Amino acid sequence: MGTFIQLVIDGLSAGSIYAALALAIVLVNQATGLINFAQGGMAVLAAYFAYSFLQWGVPLILAILLSMLVSFVLGALIERFLMRRFEQGDPDTAVVVTIGLLTLITGLCGWIWSFNNLQFPSLFPLQNVNILGAVVSVRSIGTTLVIVGIMILLQLLFIGTKLGLALRAVAVNPQSAAFSGLPVGRLLMVGWGLAAALGAIAGALIAPSLTLTPGMMDAALVYALAAVILGGLSSPIGVVVAAWMIGVLENLAAVYVPFIGFDLKIAVPFILIFIVLIVRPQGLFGRKDVVRV
Amino acid sequence: MSTLRKKARITSVVAGIGIVAVLAAGCARGTAGDDTGDATEGPAEASPGITDTSITLGITSPLTGPTAGPGNCTVDGALAYFGVKNAEGGIEFGDGKTRTVEIKAYDDTYDPQKALANFQQMVSDGVFAAGIGLGTPTNRAWREAAIDEEVPQVLVMTGDPIFSDREESPWQLGLVPIYQQEGGAFGEMLASSTEDHKVAILSQNDDYGDGYVEGFKEAIAGADNIEVVKELTYEATDTSVDAQLTELAASGADVFFNAMSITPLVISSLKKTEELGWTPNWFLPSNTSSPGGILQQPDVHADVFPGIYTVAFSQSAASPTFAESEEGAAFLEAIAEYTNQEGVPAFPHCVWSWIAGATLEQAFAEMTEPTRENFMEALLSIQDYSAPFMLEGSVIDTTADGKPAVSDVLVQKYNGKGYAPAEQFG
Amino acid sequence: MAAAAGFLAKPWVRWVAVLLVVVLLVVAPLIFPIFLNQTLARIGVFAVAVLGLNVVMGYTGQVSLGQIFFVGVGAYVTAYGVNADWNIALVFILAALIPGVIGLLISLAAARLGGLAIAMVTIALPIIGVPLAKRLSEFTGGSQGSSARFSSAPDWTGLADDQWQLYIVIAITAVVFLLTRNLVRGKYGRAFAIVKGNEAVASSMGISPYRYKVLAFTIASLIGGISGFLYMVVVQYTSPETMSFGHSITLLASMVIGGAGSILGSLLGGAYYVLAPQLTNAIDSSLTAVLQGIILLAILFVLPGGLVSLPRLWRRRRKSDGHGGAPAGGAGSRSAAAATVAPDVSPSAASVTAAPVAATPTPPEPNPPTQSEEKRQDT
Repeated sequence: MGTFIQLVIDGLSAGSIYAALALAIVLVNQATGLINFAQGGMAVLAAYFAYSFLQWGVPLILAILLSMLVSFVLGALIERFLMRRFEQGDPDTAVVVTIGLLTLITGLCGWIWSFNNLQFPSLFPLQNVNILGAVVSVRSIGTTLVIVGIMILLQLLFIGTKLGLALRAVAVNPQSAAFSGLPVGRLLMVGWGLAAALGAIAGALIAPSLTLTPGMMDAALVYALAAVILGGLSSPIGVVVAAWMIGVLENLAAVYVPFIGFDLKIAVPFILIFIVLIVRPQGLFGRKDVVRV
Repeated sequence: MSTLRKKARITSVVAGIGIVAVLAAGCARGTAGDDTGDATEGPAEASPGITDTSITLGITSPLTGPTAGPGNCTVDGALAYFGVKNAEGGIEFGDGKTRTVEIKAYDDTYDPQKALANFQQMVSDGVFAAGIGLGTPTNRAWREAAIDEEVPQVLVMTGDPIFSDREESPWQLGLVPIYQQEGGAFGEMLASSTEDHKVAILSQNDDYGDGYVEGFKEAIAGADNIEVVKELTYEATDTSVDAQLTELAASGADVFFNAMSITPLVISSLKKTEELGWTPNWFLPSNTSSPGGILQQPDVHADVFPGIYTVAFSQSAASPTFAESEEGAAFLEAIAEYTNQEGVPAFPHCVWSWIAGATLEQAFAEMTEPTRENFMEALLSIQDYSAPFMLEGSVIDTTADGKPAVSDVLVQKYNGKGYAPAEQFG
Repeated sequence: MAAAAGFLAKPWVRWVAVLLVVVLLVVAPLIFPIFLNQTLARIGVFAVAVLGLNVVMGYTGQVSLGQIFFVGVGAYVTAYGVNADWNIALVFILAALIPGVIGLLISLAAARLGGLAIAMVTIALPIIGVPLAKRLSEFTGGSQGSSARFSSAPDWTGLADDQWQLYIVIAITAVVFLLTRNLVRGKYGRAFAIVKGNEAVASSMGISPYRYKVLAFTIASLIGGISGFLYMVVVQYTSPETMSFGHSITLLASMVIGGAGSILGSLLGGAYYVLAPQLTNAIDSSLTAVLQGIILLAILFVLPGGLVSLPRLWRRRRKSDGHGGAPAGGAGSRSAAAATVAPDVSPSAASVTAAPVAATPTPPEPNPPTQSEEKRQDT
């Protein structure tokens, strides 16, 4: 039983990492209708900024807050000067532009900060607690709680605030939104900026355990995409739950289904998605969209 | 004239021109081809890439991407070494000429197809020899092309045994010990222990991990006191091995054989194992056992484990005594001056690449002719050479078939600060 | 300009042009230097891969991030067959068929589920493919890969290896490109375009989106398998890294950079895939990632429709000075399809096709949001 609980808790912890990135992807998608492949890369860049601030003697929390601020500005600028041109065009082109952005950012990080594994201090103290026979690190609990907090905030943002409504309106129909008097350009920039800032938090949470390298979020990106699709592109709660499910089920399948084992455990999220999409094509928590012909 | 006949006319005219052109061109390229062919006719005809004053080496290695950390080191060590030598005027070759060594580096992002493309580019750019690159699939991709082209592919940074098989790979030579060797060295020591041991194994799911485990198992085969109770793998791209550690901890093993080449995963494993309350003896491979880089990281408590063993053939640049030694200080200075490395190199490949450079110098000093054949002869006849930073008891010997340049490894045990040789287990 | 266009349209001029190209293809490998031949051969390999991706993604609008999986399977089948001394023609056929069958089976299941499922399944292919290739080491050689030397020039030809390999690549690539070109210009191509444009409209016209998606995906995987065979001809070694997910993303980028939904664009995409790393290596081998990112962004910034839209852009710039700017990506094939189908699938496409293809005096409207939204929420 101890093993089972340990695996579940470790799975939740890994899932939180995917969830953090997935939330940022959902935010960008809600705001600008794009899937941003560079989301992980931008998060890593933010973590590198925080690392540099730390090197200059800035205390950890302040360094992270500063990196969030810098990310916000950077995200907004990227939207305005790079993505704006592609937002109304072919979506495949826009996705490829984000791919190019990812390549560029990863290369820049490697060039400026080298490809070595850099140590990043953790926000949470490095202690462990015992829960039902399983050893859980405070860091895992902390990460999970922060993710839950962000998820709730995002959900409130989208459903409860005018800003959230405006962001969604702009994504669904920019022309009507413009006619209604919404500052479309600025809202798009805010959407990307928020997502980048969110990514900065994710980067700061993950860097301590993975060590900071330019490709730190590459593996997580695939899982994050899986979580986004599984959970539904429009639901923060959905993607977080989906990410947790992926993390937990992956671990359980690896250990309890010998045929799958640890090398093929990566198949689990996809099998899961396949099954869910057969039953609910819009994802676990997504909304069904009606399209007029 | 009908269009059909018109077309037919045009077709035949064009085809006629084409055939003539083909014949002409065939002859033209044929003669051109002969020139670049055999470079071994006559003793004085030099191979490409070598002149009276310089020699060019090509390295294809991952310089960007996930394995870029070690990849950059494989280039930088050699750059630094030859940077120093070139500044001193060059290296004296066996034929009396002093030449500078030029290094051309190419990025293959650990993609075998790009590695082959880089090799073809190297040949086109006129390098004398190639090697020192990182990776098994990347080096394998152009191994046979190198044999066909008769271009040396030497001192490659992979423990894949095929590169040291003289018959299979007449133009190749591995640098680092084959993985089986390292695993086997520890297995031998463990098998000679007087007590019973249960072993849990966690290995990377590729030829690296497989090689270590194979060597280890071969060494303990037949030893009654050793039992492998659990064996698991992980992917090099995994973000965490916590699930595997949980399973392994439940096996009750007292020895943990670890074939992991990913630094952050080793660090997190050390922490997690302690958290789980499992305190076995550890074995770590040579490239992920650095005291400064791994064992002395914040919140890694190496002392809770009864013993941490590794195999090694060279000093670690991250150990405190390294910078204090004269040679070590010179190394760090050269790295700082000739490469883009920041601070102390984090991967052992920088030191290994320096050793490769030194080994090449030995070969150059024996070369009497500026040809690739002669170079290979010289390289494959080095015996008993104690390269800089090699541990006592470990030398470069390239004369043994089936063995890479370095095949002696020492089993070492961590003593809280660094490593000391370990004769016995426990 | 109109006179020039008229000249080019004459049938006999077309024929001569085609013959000149053929002569060039026959003669060039004999006179080009070795490295150029090797590079061209590699371009051919990936041009075919991008072509396959174009069939399912550029022409039919289904997201596929798994094309490299089929290339990898084709390469492994080739390696296995060659090492088992099978007849090379048989190996070629199997290298195309086996990925094709896999693609067929996968699309039969996934195509019913809509865009999201297909995207997810295609992402899963290379990601699961790599550990699977390692596990099935009896067939694949495991993580050490599998070497298959079979494309050295036979003595009776008197050719050098690089020439022989290039000829094989040229021959097979040309055939595949021609067959695909005929496919997408015929009724299947039109059906693909309608399915891409609006599935509801397609089914209301009696064109089953499901059937055509399956067809497109199967063809894409067939072509991918052929690309894998060519990969083995040129590289003569394959390993699990051949089908890593990162390459799929690069293939996607290559497709868009070359020009989605375009035959010539596939060729340009293959050229980008091969030349970008080589070029950036020559500039500075430590900065390949940065430079490639810059090149990609720069190309798309100037030519959102891909490299193949360069003449279009130039023509538009010359014709109508005030209206420069981004043509809707993929407008070429979509407008061609719209012209023959004629319902108002999209008002902008219809207005674009009102004028002759060469000159568009009306400024191109951006795609209405419903269309891009549709694709995203296509479930």
